[in-house]
Amino acid sequence: MIRINFMLLAAVVMTMLYVVKVQYESRQLFVAIEKATLEVRKLELNHSALQVEIRVQATPLIIEKLAKDKLQMRSATPAVTQYISIPASLLPPTQTSEVAK
Amino acid sequence: MSRGINYASSPLLTSKTPVWRSKFIVAVIALGFVGLIGRATYIQVINNNFFKRQGEVRFVRTLDLPANRGKILDRNGLILASSVLAPSVWAIPEDVDVDDANLTKLAKLLDIPKKELSKKLNDEDKSFVWLKRQVDESNAKMIEALGIKGIYLRNEYKRKYPEGDSAASIMGYANVDGKGLGGVEFALNHELAGQAGSRKVIKNRLGQVVENIGEQRPPTAGKDQQLSIDSRIQFFAFQKLRDAVVEHKANSGSAVVIDVVTGEVLALANYPVGNNTSKKEGMNGAQLRNRALSDTFEPGSTMKPFIAALALERGFVKPETVIQTAPGRMTIGGATISDAHPQGELTVNQVIQKSSNVGIVKLAMQTEPKDMWSMYDQLGFGQKPQLSFPGVVGGKLRSYKTWRPIEQATMSYGYGLSCSLFQLAHAYSVFARDGEIIPLTLTKSNQRVTGVPVFKSNNAIAVRHMLNLATSAGGTAQKAQTIGYSVGGKTGTAHIQEGKGYASKKYRGFFVGMAPIENPRIVVAVMIEEPKNGKYFGGDVAAPVFSETVQQTLRILGVQPDINVKPQIVYSAVEESF
Repeated sequence: MIRINFMLLAAVVMTMLYVVKVQYESRQLFVAIEKATLEVRKLELNHSALQVEIRVQATPLIIEKLAKDKLQMRSATPAVTQYISIPASLLPPTQTSEVAK
Repeated sequence: MSRGINYASSPLLTSKTPVWRSKFIVAVIALGFVGLIGRATYIQVINNNFFKRQGEVRFVRTLDLPANRGKILDRNGLILASSVLAPSVWAIPEDVDVDDANLTKLAKLLDIPKKELSKKLNDEDKSFVWLKRQVDESNAKMIEALGIKGIYLRNEYKRKYPEGDSAASIMGYANVDGKGLGGVEFALNHELAGQAGSRKVIKNRLGQVVENIGEQRPPTAGKDQQLSIDSRIQFFAFQKLRDAVVEHKANSGSAVVIDVVTGEVLALANYPVGNNTSKKEGMNGAQLRNRALSDTFEPGSTMKPFIAALALERGFVKPETVIQTAPGRMTIGGATISDAHPQGELTVNQVIQKSSNVGIVKLAMQTEPKDMWSMYDQLGFGQKPQLSFPGVVGGKLRSYKTWRPIEQATMSYGYGLSCSLFQLAHAYSVFARDGEIIPLTLTKSNQRVTGVPVFKSNNAIAVRHMLNLATSAGGTAQKAQTIGYSVGGKTGTAHIQEGKGYASKKYRGFFVGMAPIENPRIVVAVMIEEPKNGKYFGGDVAAPVFSETVQQTLRILGVQPDINVKPQIVYSAVEESF
């Protein structure tokens, strides 16, 4: 009887230690997830900031300035535009379904 | 003989220990246990909440989860406003330990005077002080690298407006706490703001989150809002307006571009304008407001086409009906109305083309005041436009019951009532849409909108023809013509009201028109306020802005030219070869 009791006691102690170990590991994993989540958030914010930066660099003001100063381009007018008609069958579905303007 | 020691017995054992002593010790130990059980019961059961709370105070933290503010996009999905990370710098003055060199560097990075920074850091009565809100991320990293004790960073977000000045008066601005305080940022704040969330966590001694507790409340991000504005058209309208304001040394200018098929507002430009990327809160109302929507003025001659349409509608004139305007002035109730240039006999078409006050008053005086008022009312004058935007005004249109004859006369050529430039552009959509007035919107719709009929379509088309004449040879707005597209519109030049009367040499020049004239796609209204460089007529200061804006807008919208142009494309025939 005493032997069984000792075995059970040993089992209880081992289980307790195992619980502590699992708890420790779960916290380690939790911290890692937290870190990864923060990293995701940081990357999202960077992405957002870069999107804005791309937009800032591509505003009509900057494009117009570069086109005129560096590429010696000029504004398009109907006088320098060749208008062509595309048959409806060749238009992509998104354009054919658009409201006629 | 020596005496042996008897180890089997001890005198101590034989001594009579009083029983009470052992009982006492057992009782003390038992009492100790009772005390422990009592204390455990007290902690675990009776006062459990207090101890639980104390534990939480030491390890549990509630973290706020801020909601991302939605982006504002133009009709093509390009970013007009977005939130980016901008850390704020704060300090605990009593903990700050900084040498002079680092203090100088910190002041430079924060862009505040060193003296002011020292004052903030020496205020030891405070346990928390903001040094600067929303600094650039690069500067924040450099501040962090200084490693000054007692100085901390907190992540915050600030709004960025890539279009800068050109769209500033539409965008408005959001404050450091991410709350919209002007323009679209204010109007759509509810949709853009989202809802912040929170979560309870346990933090270890290193400040790391090690466990979530209870239910989490995730944040709901604000929804992106897509406007009807086209950033390219907005830019061109702003650019041409700015050039005109500078050239004519005017106080300000506004321009409105409307797509009359969908009822979408494509551009709403104002110049000068407050820069929404700088210190917005220090600006005054005049710099921040969207003048096209919030400023009212007497619309002058731009009202004449409506009277012509009403006269056609009532059937007492036709476009070719001749009206005698000689000698170029007329008197009503003791007041004299005159034309700038006496014209003699004019057809109704020519009354609009030459912008004759006398001619239009003669038409107006044949209509009932109630009829005139009713038409103005149907066109939206005197009513606040149904547009979700702060500061939108409805102007002034008094009840016809209070009109005196002279007032009815002056109202026919735009004095005695007031409206915003936006209302004027809206009202002109009635001609572009063959007699029906359409609702306008600032959000993308891309659907053909249905209007409410005000005039018969043949009368609206007839007035459109008159508007075309006004921009043709002999008209008042020849500078509104543009390469490739037929246009039509009306100039207006009005004295600016000052006190109880009108300033003699202060004018407001405007032009409202549409293109292409046979099948209009857009209505453009332009106003230049108080030009001081010699020219002040709407046909001289506002019509050229209209011309260039129409040119660019129709090109961007892919509208094919409706009049022949001399091609300037140079072809060089090249023989194909293998």
